[in-house]
Amino acid sequence: MNMQMTGLRAWLVQRVAAVYVGLFSLYLLIHFTTDAPGSYSEWRDWVGHPGIAVSWALFFIALLLHAWVGMRDVLLDYVHNTAVRLVALLGLALFLLAQGLWALTVLLGAGT
Amino acid sequence: MRFSIYRYNSETDREPRMQDYVLEEIEPGMMLLNALIKLKAEDETLTFRRSCQEGICGSDGMNINGRNGLACITPLKDLDEPVTLRPLPGLPVIRDLVVDLSQFYRQYRAVKPWLTVHDPEPEVEFLQSPAQRDRLDGLYECILCACCSTSCPSFWWNPDKFLGPAALLQSYRFLADSRDQATDERLADLEGPYKLFRCHTIMNCVQVCPKGLNPTQAIGRIKKLMVKRSV
Repeated sequence: MNMQMTGLRAWLVQRVAAVYVGLFSLYLLIHFTTDAPGSYSEWRDWVGHPGIAVSWALFFIALLLHAWVGMRDVLLDYVHNTAVRLVALLGLALFLLAQGLWALTVLLGAGT
Repeated sequence: MRFSIYRYNSETDREPRMQDYVLEEIEPGMMLLNALIKLKAEDETLTFRRSCQEGICGSDGMNINGRNGLACITPLKDLDEPVTLRPLPGLPVIRDLVVDLSQFYRQYRAVKPWLTVHDPEPEVEFLQSPAQRDRLDGLYECILCACCSTSCPSFWWNPDKFLGPAALLQSYRFLADSRDQATDERLADLEGPYKLFRCHTIMNCVQVCPKGLNPTQAIGRIKKLMVKRSV
């Protein structure tokens, strides 16, 4: 098994991530229309709940993986110069990684 | 009826140009190819491919009012004027409406469009049940006119790496064939980011196929086989 995320693996990851993001978004929509937190402390309690925090973490991982595959697809389609593509992919990876770390700090902060 | 036709001779012209034509004698039920043949009688430098004139050979694929199709089965009465004719997009133009299909055929050859059998060949013939034969319907009818692949942006951007809808339909035609024994090799061959996975399911191929085939569905089924094979 190679660990490279190309071809079938990338495609599957994108699909599975899309399903999770879709289902979790639906859950958020239902939660916030039926049982919205009334105050900041209630909001923090809700996000700090281990089950919810893990679901949020999975949501961000799925979102970032989905974005990575999708944006990489766009770059593979349109950017044919190897050097430019490498820089663009690297920039994209750093950007998504930064977003992920930011989400992680927020989630860890909510848990304390 | 007014026509605006792409003219270019790769040996003498530096730039392509659009040339206007008018055809007076339009008969009822006339197809676009008949009109082109009449125009060629007036201007013999006008160049296009054609052969069977009934949508079987796939020679006269061209871009008709912005949409790929076969001139021989496109009724004139369905076309807005001026009828704008261009060569199939994304391929090198040899002359006027004639494109160089080498790249298209290379991708077709790349999927090994023939039966591969590892067992000793049967003495008489390969037997197939009617149900097994039915699985090839909607796949074997492809006439390789290139309308689908040349309407596919993924094929425009990466014609040397992405196989394109026509070749992938043929790939599935042999994957779906009960007599073929190279399923594993075929699927392994399609792995990687380019050959199959540049398809983003925009379905231009389905929209233009003059035979009403569905390459997108075939590509989806290949993906399904790949998933099955990998788990």
